[in-house]
Amino acid sequence: MRPNKSTRIVLFLYGLLVIGFLYLPLVSVSFASISKARYLTFPIKAYSTRWYAKALESESVRDLVMTSFKVALIVTVVSMLVGFFGALAFARYQWRYRSLFQKVILLPIFFPQMVLGLALLMWFNSLGIIPTWKTAVVAHLVWIAPIATLIIAIRAYSFDPALEEAARDMGASTFTILREITLPLLMPAVISAGLFAFLLSWGNFPLSLFTTGADSTLPEWLYAKMVSGYSPLVPTLGVLSVVGSFLLIMLAFAVVWLMRGIRRAGKAKS
Amino acid sequence: MSSDPILRLEGIVKRFGNFTALHAIDLDISEGEFLTIVGPSGSGKSTLIRLLVGMDDLTEGEIRLRGKRIDQTPANKRPTCMVFQSLALFPHMTVGQNIEFPLRIRGVAPEQRKIRALELLDLLHLPRSYHEKGVTQCSGGERQRVALARALAFDPEILFFDEPLSALDYRLRKALEKELKDLHNRTGKTFVYITHSLEEAMVMSDRIAIMKEGRFVQIAVADEIYSRPVNRFVAEFMGEVNLFDVEGVDGGVFRAPEMEIHVNGGGGDFGLSLAPGETGTLVVRPEFMRFLPSGETADFILSGILHAEYALGSRIQYEVEISGGEMVTVEKLREDRFTGALGDTVVLGFDLEAVHLIREAGHEKH
Repeated sequence: MRPNKSTRIVLFLYGLLVIGFLYLPLVSVSFASISKARYLTFPIKAYSTRWYAKALESESVRDLVMTSFKVALIVTVVSMLVGFFGALAFARYQWRYRSLFQKVILLPIFFPQMVLGLALLMWFNSLGIIPTWKTAVVAHLVWIAPIATLIIAIRAYSFDPALEEAARDMGASTFTILREITLPLLMPAVISAGLFAFLLSWGNFPLSLFTTGADSTLPEWLYAKMVSGYSPLVPTLGVLSVVGSFLLIMLAFAVVWLMRGIRRAGKAKS
Repeated sequence: MSSDPILRLEGIVKRFGNFTALHAIDLDISEGEFLTIVGPSGSGKSTLIRLLVGMDDLTEGEIRLRGKRIDQTPANKRPTCMVFQSLALFPHMTVGQNIEFPLRIRGVAPEQRKIRALELLDLLHLPRSYHEKGVTQCSGGERQRVALARALAFDPEILFFDEPLSALDYRLRKALEKELKDLHNRTGKTFVYITHSLEEAMVMSDRIAIMKEGRFVQIAVADEIYSRPVNRFVAEFMGEVNLFDVEGVDGGVFRAPEMEIHVNGGGGDFGLSLAPGETGTLVVRPEFMRFLPSGETADFILSGILHAEYALGSRIQYEVEISGGEMVTVEKLREDRFTGALGDTVVLGFDLEAVHLIREAGHEKH
């Protein structure tokens, strides 16, 4: 069924409005990042890319990015691993405490992150652990690993348990089934869970604020700069961060696309 | 059966908590046989087949394959294979990779795997080019054949089927039933098939085992089950049937309130005897019922009012209301169509050769 013309016009305008609402802030920050001025003023009088040059050569910016990247990368890898097996327990296997597990595992997602961050900080203190970026990894995992689990579990629900049974029936061992059947079928979900994990960790502020100790991640630094002495590097790094995330998503798409290509090539060969 | 069975089930019991799904099942399956286990849903047939392939553990009893106990052997170590209801084709693999899967697990070299896969594609009338085709791009019937090819690649001692045709449309199902029977003849393998469809069982099987509430009710060749059911459940399960309650009387014969009996001129023993007071059920299939023109007679005669007429393709089915309001079903080939009008009084007859007597009291509780 095709909607009539006036409906289509209204829908089109509505869509345009939504996209404008979503992207206008991003566009204005982009403009701010190429302003020559030291302070954020509109309209922008002169444009320059010097803040980008500054950001790229600055040692402290490099440290910030490295810290954020380290945290996000470890969180991603661990979330994918934990999420994969967690999802199997969540969705695929019948065991006694499954329904309890399903509820408990999701609880951290509903915790306000500020409260979760503070609670974790107190917990680290009472254990005598000095907070660094490593404790931030743990804090991020508390919140992000359940999300990764959920993403993979949704996919795990949709695949036929008979596939694993059939593989076993034809002589495959538990490990072979995991490698040949379960993992390949869940791979798309594992990749998107990893992507989510990275982006959520990369952009996370409330958990990092409490748990990085003397280290600082990019969002923390951006916040600090905004509350105490604006730097024109703020919009610049903001834009760079968005561009980085965008490139990462593209990379993930490319990986999925390449994997398909390899599989197709593999089919042609075998 | 003269030779030793390939598979012997002895006293198999399966309980889930307090619920007993299988009550001491005994069954011998002979080499090369096509055995179908039929039963309504919940009869325990799926439970049984899962035990046989090793996907569930039995509670009691023994399974022997060529005399060797296998009930404690895990599924991946048993030389049997099952075609699943969902087919369970691996969606991330090609047709070829699916068929070669069991061979790859066994460590067969790629070249030999491919040779075997192509042979199997030939056997199942699939083009060889399908080897490279994605399994998700195949049609329902093709996927069916791929699943069969994969199971045959495993080269099992016994091939099990868990209602693999149930999701297909009628025409395709009919075609595949015949193909499966043909495949059975060509491969000489032992097939054990479960289904809730009696038609499927009748077309394909050497023997049929009827299951109800976790027990076998009757195990016999299709003809035997159709014409000599052991009880009302089997009789009704095997398609349209007319059942009459009868009661033994003095002189070794029986009587039924709604019919006249003219066997041997209406008197004497005719082989289907009941003791006085004993009750039974007379089974008459609708195709053995005749409309009697006036002047003609039959061994058993009853009369009623023609109530309805249904066209079933090559056959026509009639419903006749007899005394007491019960309906009797009559089936005629289209060319022998009965010309009476609805509401007419008609006389029905059938002969002694057509009837089967079940020595079982009245209506069974379901």
